[in-house]
Amino acid sequence: MIYVENLRKEFKKTIKEPGLKGSLKSFIKPKKEIVAAVKDISFDVQEGEILGFIGPNGAGKSTVIKMLTGILSPTSGKCTINGKDPQKDRKTYVKEIGVVFGQRTQLWWDLPLTETYTVLKEIYEVDDSRFKKRMSFLNEVLELDSFINSPVRTLSLGQRMRADIAASLLHSPKVLFLDEPTIGLDVVVKDNIRKAIAKINEEEHTTVVLTTHDLEDIELLSKRIVMIDKGSKVFDGKITDLKEKYGQMRELAFVSPDENALKALGYAEKFGLSDDDLIQEQDGTSCKIRFNSAIVPVSDMLSYTLSKINVKDINVKDADIEEIIRRLYKEGVE
Amino acid sequence: MSTYRANWLFYILGDVLACFVSFFVWEAVFISNGGESFMGFDKSDMVVYIFMSFLTGQVISSGGTYNIGEEVKDGSIAMRMIKPISYNATFLFQEIGNKLMEIGVIFIPLVAGVEIYRFAVTGSLKFDILKFLIYLVCCVFAYAINFFFNICYGFTAFVFKNLWGSNMLKNTVVSFLSGAIIPLAFLPDVLKNVLICLPFSSLTYTPVMIYMGMYTGYELLFFAGVQIFWTVVFWLLSKVIWKCVINRLSIQGG
Repeated sequence: MIYVENLRKEFKKTIKEPGLKGSLKSFIKPKKEIVAAVKDISFDVQEGEILGFIGPNGAGKSTVIKMLTGILSPTSGKCTINGKDPQKDRKTYVKEIGVVFGQRTQLWWDLPLTETYTVLKEIYEVDDSRFKKRMSFLNEVLELDSFINSPVRTLSLGQRMRADIAASLLHSPKVLFLDEPTIGLDVVVKDNIRKAIAKINEEEHTTVVLTTHDLEDIELLSKRIVMIDKGSKVFDGKITDLKEKYGQMRELAFVSPDENALKALGYAEKFGLSDDDLIQEQDGTSCKIRFNSAIVPVSDMLSYTLSKINVKDINVKDADIEEIIRRLYKEGVE
Repeated sequence: MSTYRANWLFYILGDVLACFVSFFVWEAVFISNGGESFMGFDKSDMVVYIFMSFLTGQVISSGGTYNIGEEVKDGSIAMRMIKPISYNATFLFQEIGNKLMEIGVIFIPLVAGVEIYRFAVTGSLKFDILKFLIYLVCCVFAYAINFFFNICYGFTAFVFKNLWGSNMLKNTVVSFLSGAIIPLAFLPDVLKNVLICLPFSSLTYTPVMIYMGMYTGYELLFFAGVQIFWTVVFWLLSKVIWKCVINRLSIQGG
């Protein structure tokens, strides 16, 4: 569905030296520098797949999305989506995709929300009966009813985001690009939006490319992720693989009346764990220990702990993806 | 405009006030001149020119440069690019929509006011339906020229990133060259003849002169030719520039 080959984007950047002197200098003779925001990235996405596209701020995620949606032209490399080159034939290409940029809106700011949909209906040439069906489906999934007649500028952020997603889906696109669709939203709205995306993907086999900082989005929606950092691809594969590779960390949490429980236990000496494989903290009576389960099996850890001290409450958690990514970022690009 | 009604009314009011300022300036010129005609314009001609050039200016105004500049500056141009429609067409039709509402409010009162004034001063009805219709057609072409000119100019935002300064410069130069500040007839002949062949005289000067009945016969044909020529030139130019600058676009602000 989506094939990306050695995609690269360079920007010219004017460098301003600090202060008034720097301003004057850059006004008279600007110093230019070429910055590569995306460096030769390749990946592909199958039809009906939800791909999570993650990376820290400034990694180049949005730049990639903008090239895939035909807004920016790549400096070199190629992307083919649905058999089309986004840059070559923009008008026919964008008919088949839906795009949501979380920080921008495609809704008409001063008009009631329904008017935006009516305009989009004309733009995408959706016929009346399809439009009706589609609107009732989107209404059901995204719950637009309560604010569909309000001017867009009066909507809350959560309402606006739902409305924006509905707008991008009106023409039943084959590919949906979501650039941070849950940015700034509360837990309930986030959950609604995730459910809606999952439902649309399931019912219509829409291919979804999703960028986000919220790792829960990824964990709940996509099986596969591509991670980029500083413009280069760092990881491409299943989330379970990522967990296997980097995710041997488990979190053991317990409550113990003993204030010096951690000292008494002395995990580091007992199991010979290094600082990288063991992180422990104690806050009053509650203790948290993150350890590498590849070195110490969970069962050993548990039985040792229980035999050594008095424990009120105890649980072991799987490593969440956030922890994995923290480790991955720390290790840097391989 | 229906949303921000007060804002829009104040805006129009400000412009109308500027018309009256210019009216009193010219009245002073005529008084100091002994009340006679001045370079072929008598006082009532001047009044018609001031108010009709204001009206024409409103009819043909185009915010293309400003809008493209703003959209490039804040990056919202991205939202236009993801729609399967021509970039220029979205601007054109959005603007026509706004314009019809605005013009509907000021057009009839202004034309009626000008004609009543002319009737009161000269004692005879000067309104000519044929000239008025030619004026309207002329305005359509004037708008087309101005629209595509502004689009072309706006595309330079892709390179310069911020257009505010150069847009101010453009507006001042164009309002002089189009005859919106003083009738081009008041300029020295050589300058006037050059300006008449430039695209900008077609924007305000030509339509108003047609409305006033200053042009007849072959002159009309000549000016129609000039207008059509520049419409086509800027239309083609906007297409060429679009092809050249689209690769240079960068979206600012994430």
